[in-house]
Amino acid sequence: MVSFIGRSFVQKIITLFFVSIVSFLIIHLAPGKPSQVDPMNPKFTPEMVERFSKEFHLDKPLYVQYVYFYQDLFTGKTASWKDNQSVLKKIWERFLNSLPLFIVGTLITWTLSFPVGIRSAIFREGVYDRTATFLSYLLISIPGFFFAYVLIIFVVTRFHVPVIGMETFGIGDASLPYILMDRIWHMLLPSVLGATGGIAVLSRYVRSQMLEVEGQDYIRTARAKGLPPEQVHYKHALRNALLPFVTMFGLILPGLIGGSVIIESIFSWPGMGRMAYEAILARDYPVILTVNFVSAVLVLAGTFISDLLYLIVDPRIRL
Amino acid sequence: MTIRRVLIFAPILLIVVLLQSYFWVPTYEQQTRGNPARLAEYIAGSIGDASLLNPILTADSASSNIQDFVFEGLIDRDEQLRFRGRLAKSWEVFEEAFFYVNPSASIPGLGKADPQTLAAFVKDAQKKNHATDPGLKNSLKRITEISVLPPSTFSVTRPFKDPNTDTQETIEIRVAAPARIKLVLNGVDPDLFQNLSHLLGKNYFESFHGKDYLSSPSQHGKEKLPAYAEELLPATEHNPILLFHLRPGVRFHDGHTVEADDVKFTYEAIMNPKNLSPRISDYEPVKTVQVVDPLTVKIVYKRLYSPAIGTWGMGILPQHLLNSKALEKEALGLGKDLKTFSMRQSTFNRRPIGSGPFKFREWKSDQYITLDRFDDYWEGPPNYQRYVFRIIPDLLTQEMEFYAGTIDSYGVQPHQVKRLEKDPKFQSFAGTAFGYTYIGYNMRRKPFDDPRVRRALGMAIDVDKIIQYVLYGQGEQITGPFVKQTDYYNHHIQPLPYDPKGALKLLAAAGWQRNKDGWLEKNGRRFKFTLITNSGNDLRKAILAIAQNAWKQIGIDVRTDLLEWSVFIQERVNKADFDALILGWQMGIEPDLYQIWHSSQTHPYQLNFVNFKNQEADDLIIKIRQEYTHDRQVEYSHRLHEIIAKEQPYTFLYVGKWTAVLDKRIVIKDVDDAGNIRYEKIKPTQTGNYAFYFNKWIKLPKAPNFMDEG
Repeated sequence: MVSFIGRSFVQKIITLFFVSIVSFLIIHLAPGKPSQVDPMNPKFTPEMVERFSKEFHLDKPLYVQYVYFYQDLFTGKTASWKDNQSVLKKIWERFLNSLPLFIVGTLITWTLSFPVGIRSAIFREGVYDRTATFLSYLLISIPGFFFAYVLIIFVVTRFHVPVIGMETFGIGDASLPYILMDRIWHMLLPSVLGATGGIAVLSRYVRSQMLEVEGQDYIRTARAKGLPPEQVHYKHALRNALLPFVTMFGLILPGLIGGSVIIESIFSWPGMGRMAYEAILARDYPVILTVNFVSAVLVLAGTFISDLLYLIVDPRIRL
Repeated sequence: MTIRRVLIFAPILLIVVLLQSYFWVPTYEQQTRGNPARLAEYIAGSIGDASLLNPILTADSASSNIQDFVFEGLIDRDEQLRFRGRLAKSWEVFEEAFFYVNPSASIPGLGKADPQTLAAFVKDAQKKNHATDPGLKNSLKRITEISVLPPSTFSVTRPFKDPNTDTQETIEIRVAAPARIKLVLNGVDPDLFQNLSHLLGKNYFESFHGKDYLSSPSQHGKEKLPAYAEELLPATEHNPILLFHLRPGVRFHDGHTVEADDVKFTYEAIMNPKNLSPRISDYEPVKTVQVVDPLTVKIVYKRLYSPAIGTWGMGILPQHLLNSKALEKEALGLGKDLKTFSMRQSTFNRRPIGSGPFKFREWKSDQYITLDRFDDYWEGPPNYQRYVFRIIPDLLTQEMEFYAGTIDSYGVQPHQVKRLEKDPKFQSFAGTAFGYTYIGYNMRRKPFDDPRVRRALGMAIDVDKIIQYVLYGQGEQITGPFVKQTDYYNHHIQPLPYDPKGALKLLAAAGWQRNKDGWLEKNGRRFKFTLITNSGNDLRKAILAIAQNAWKQIGIDVRTDLLEWSVFIQERVNKADFDALILGWQMGIEPDLYQIWHSSQTHPYQLNFVNFKNQEADDLIIKIRQEYTHDRQVEYSHRLHEIIAKEQPYTFLYVGKWTAVLDKRIVIKDVDDAGNIRYEKIKPTQTGNYAFYFNKWIKLPKAPNFMDEG
């Protein structure tokens, strides 16, 4: 066990190192310049571009820039080129904004997918199963942004309530329960939208896992010995069908960053994904690279956690 | 079975909790009805957030938008785009001119003269007023003061890079400057020295060679002397001067008065290399900024450069909050390194203090920036109590928020205006924008070096159709590079007619004949080129296809290519590696065309990438820069416009329109001296600025009916 943790830790560090090099190279070799040294701005003289380049170390060879950047990152000194704010502070603030959206979205996905999927599996090929299948594929195929627009227009024109942002604009000094509920309301649409794709995919997984397990010999045995069907489905089948989902649980961590760019932009939610997106547009290298690094760490941490969970849940696996 | 129950009730519970929140949220009606303060609030929607709220550090549009409310410059432009005083009550423009006494030149009727005699001679000529040349007469009349500066010696050091050893060293240059005559004028006279040469002899100024008065102890220095002569000892020198008289009693938001020191400080902050100001090039022509007294500031320029006046619209920073002492204190407080701490790192940029009509209140990144009105504003406080800048990165969401009344304005698109035009709840505005779209030809390459070919290419394209079908009518045809709503634009020039037959005739005159397949040919070579533009701009993409088709009609084999923006600029435009391209320019009000049209700007990475070279145009461009009289500038611009329209280096296509939509309840509220309140409908100014009277806007509970609305 300890040796497994140690080994995987070393492996992850090595992977991270390569990720850092590759992401650094991709961002620096991609066409386009940071907006501060945009050569097409007639206001910028070559001397100014040069001075900005110097200030940002852009005139140095790439490997020197690499060292500078990661040195700053690990000493916590990285600052955004756009507004000179500390990148880590910015990311932390945005992370706190994204977190509730992520939590609610995940809760919706995971609580909804299981009952839907299980029912589909139990009554397979029935009307319910077919409808669920149809809806799943529909939700998978509709682009998220389109669905978001339709929902916003529907809610705004029908119910006349605000849905944009983290709270009703100018709600000011309402009492606490109102503010709290207002926040929850604003979380509803974006998190539901963020969850739709997840529900559709996950409920399909649950269905197929259940079907696979339901065909096993021990399920037939359980049925044969006269157990009530409910106990067979929910105790014998479900528990065994759950195993693969344990690994998936670890993998949702990186969704904290990547999963929400479009939704956050449409709902003007000041979250992480939107910050990263805007940094890419402005070629704000420190922000892009830091977000990239953090998400790489999250991916690796996610895989590590799911390995550990698997180890705990499935007694057959010994490392 | 508990598992089953949990599986069913958990999601139901969750959904119920989420949905019931709906009943707690105020609807839009409740928001405005129960909240009269909303009427005194103006909420503007914006796609992007500001970066730094410091006018000398940033130039992006979102930041400038806020800066314009918080900071105030010395001057700005009025309805007719003329300069108008803000922090400056009034200003004077005059010049000091210098020339070195040329001991070798012989003056007609005087011979070789020493400095004192020369000065007396000029004074005498001015007094007698018998000059025959009208220009000279005029120039002499303007001189208010003549004095002699005695000879001086000084030495300077200049960096020098040895080409053989590649080492950096400095060379010393000793200057033994001869006596100099200083003239003070009551205005700016670009032709002064040309006119004076009628008095002092044709070659008086040309025959003065600065390098004769320079020496250097080092060998490298000696070789470099001619190169520095022009810089160190120019025969003649114009020093235009702007003398600003500040408005007394104007205060910053923290109560400190705005004084000449603040102006000087702002200038120095821009020039400070540590601050990396993007505006540094605007202020490069400034020689010195002198504080005459707390309310007078004198700005001396190195040379004639009239666009420089407009740069004083720049917001003035409070010196007492940002000078080196204040920054030092802040750095110590934050525990930052003193050496690297500059204005860029200061927290001032996130809670600025200026002297504009609104003062800063709060900034939540990527959510909103709020400003409160500044009650001590010198022109009287604005009607709105609060200005809110909301960041909504999505256009459709902005529109939804606008419908619902949670934003008062947003960057509305032409097709969205169409939807709202007939709605009695809204008022909409439109006007000519400040940028134009064009097709540029690379005149380094054949056959684009022939003006007939360029003209023919332009005549083959139906610009009216482009405006009608691509822009939905939201554009106007233009004929030249000036902003259409300014005086500089020459309205006498007719746009190129749409005339494919005429185009073929012109091409035939240039030697291009149609072959049996219908393609144009000259000496057995087909007329073939590639038209490029950047991807991601649907309008340009549509024009690309239209132009390609129009040219194919007259037998030109055109390929097209869409390139990613940075590749397009860096690989093709900057390296002048293209045949023809579609691009647009955003124009300023100043008629300065130097960067885009002067023949010295045709090198790689410069903006005259079509290689337009015309001697007369060059002269006019320089003259426009040096002229301080509006009427003359207009005259030169009209001629320049004519030349460019004749040469057709670009096929000028169209200038777009800006659009804006507001709630009808927003009106102009004016209070006259007797205290009578008068409401007026918002009307765009002649030059198309609908928000010119923003400080007088207010939202009323009900839309008023105006008599003049027919």
